[in-house]
Amino acid sequence: MRTILILIKKEFLQVFRNPLLMSILIVAPMVQFMIFPFCADYEIKVLDIAFIDHDGSRITQDIIHSFDASDIFVSHGIIQNKKDAEKMIQHDKIDILVEFPNQFEEDLMNGEATRIAITANAINTTKAGIGVGYTQEIIGGYMQKFQEDNMFIASEEQIPARLNLSYIYWYNEQMNYKNLIVPGILVILVTLIGCYVTALNLVREKEIGTIEQVNVTPIRRWQFLIGKMIPFWILGMVEFIMGLFIMKLVFGITVQGSIPMLLGITAIYLLVMLGLGFFISSVSENQLQAMFIVLFLFIIFVLLSGLFTPTEGMPQWAHYTNYLNPMSFYMEVIKKVVLKGSAFVSVQTETIVLSVMAVIVNTGAILSYQEKSK
Amino acid sequence: MNSIEVEHLTKKFGDFIAVNDISFQVKEGEIFGFLGANGAGKTTAIKMMSGLLQPTSGTAMVAGYDVITQSKLIKRNIGYMSQRFSLYNDLTVFENMQLFGTIYKIPRRELKDRIMDSLARLDMTKQANLLVNSIPLGWKQKLAFATAILHKPKIVFLDEPTSGVDPIVRREFWNLIYETASTGVTILVTTHYMDEAEYCHRISIMADGVIRLLGTPEELKKQVGVNTINDVFVEYVKH
Repeated sequence: MRTILILIKKEFLQVFRNPLLMSILIVAPMVQFMIFPFCADYEIKVLDIAFIDHDGSRITQDIIHSFDASDIFVSHGIIQNKKDAEKMIQHDKIDILVEFPNQFEEDLMNGEATRIAITANAINTTKAGIGVGYTQEIIGGYMQKFQEDNMFIASEEQIPARLNLSYIYWYNEQMNYKNLIVPGILVILVTLIGCYVTALNLVREKEIGTIEQVNVTPIRRWQFLIGKMIPFWILGMVEFIMGLFIMKLVFGITVQGSIPMLLGITAIYLLVMLGLGFFISSVSENQLQAMFIVLFLFIIFVLLSGLFTPTEGMPQWAHYTNYLNPMSFYMEVIKKVVLKGSAFVSVQTETIVLSVMAVIVNTGAILSYQEKSK
Repeated sequence: MNSIEVEHLTKKFGDFIAVNDISFQVKEGEIFGFLGANGAGKTTAIKMMSGLLQPTSGTAMVAGYDVITQSKLIKRNIGYMSQRFSLYNDLTVFENMQLFGTIYKIPRRELKDRIMDSLARLDMTKQANLLVNSIPLGWKQKLAFATAILHKPKIVFLDEPTSGVDPIVRREFWNLIYETASTGVTILVTTHYMDEAEYCHRISIMADGVIRLLGTPEELKKQVGVNTINDVFVEYVKH
């Protein structure tokens, strides 16, 4: 016990005396946390739109005006020439071009099928997708109203099917993007502290040779590893709690579920990452190698975790791979507890899986740490 | 009584034989010198004896324990000073000694006294709270030695303890070694300073993983027919 305490003291002294490490541990992640969510943001705030109106009727005028009422669209008015409009798209002046055909009003009034052409600048596919969605929503909304106002003219079956646009609400999910990315960044931070910093720590002692002086003492390898793990475990938890505060103060996201439960599961997840870090550290020869392995795993973890892309859209093999990805389980927990306020029952499976992973990874770390070279 | 008994100790790294079938004994309280050119296998031999490296074949008994099966017990009874300075640069002099003293389970109160005594002997009391980073190499080496003997080991392994330090510190260092040996501690020291070899009770000269010569400095000089250990060494490295 005294041995472990002195090792913890040693590790803390070293962390606090290392300005670079301190900044990696505290400053950099916090700055990242404050900046990243604002940049890595799929939310579209401004869409430039222009119109070509071959009809020039009251209805097309009304529709064009209804875009002015929207906060998102900046209308560039009616363009006379299609060539000019295309040029504007090419030069990124407009994102969306709406073209009304000849006799649009007349066809509509007669209940005949008619079409509006929506052209989107798809250089930014997300923006194009959302832009088309919003455009359809506004036109659809107008049509809905028009249809209700003109019930006596257009009977049910004569309404073009195209006007039934309920699927566009899919895009509304993006409006809540910050709520997802901010907790996600919290996950990334905890992972980085857990895995990255510890992976570099042990291998650094190998590089500078201090590990030899330790290995020649009668210390047991689990003592040595626990003495290293506890300080970084504490630091990780402190970081996580700081993150929760920032999340609340800056982004106004309150943890919906139980905070003690969230801390408990985070503690388990950190153990997985710490163990993984030490495992990597003890199989690596130098810091560069360790860094490379962590980076390799980290990118896979993040991409598969469902932070940037929904896991539902991934192929089957990716789902299977995800069973080995601690981050995806933890991400689930964060989503459920932070955003939905789920109770323990619904994160039970994830907690069990993470606990099993923690045991396996840490056993591996202790076994792989060789005090005696072969 | 013998502190160290090495028999047919061999270490291979792939096809390369770093230590090739060496055998020797070191008596209790003896200062035993390990001489040899760089790459002769001295460090490999020391690492096997201190339980840091698994031998390929052969046996070694250190402080009465088998290096292959009882390395934990050996570690409790030896002190080790690595060729490369391996104390923590970002801890203070005192913190380093406290760390290793605690790992060796020296009782808390006694530990503090021992550290202060030890620093007084090194004339480093004032430097107790300096970061190791900031003290000169010669002092670092003395500190490393003091830390290695803090837990009063029966045997101390010193791997090139004086390489890179000035003649005055080297002299001081050897005084420390003599002082320690006089309390019955066995010292096994490697060096490539031939004048230092003269201070040893017995020396062995290694080349290509093999012990070529073994005896007291006087015996070896007589055997080769030269006046200094330096000449003995040069004579043997020529082969």
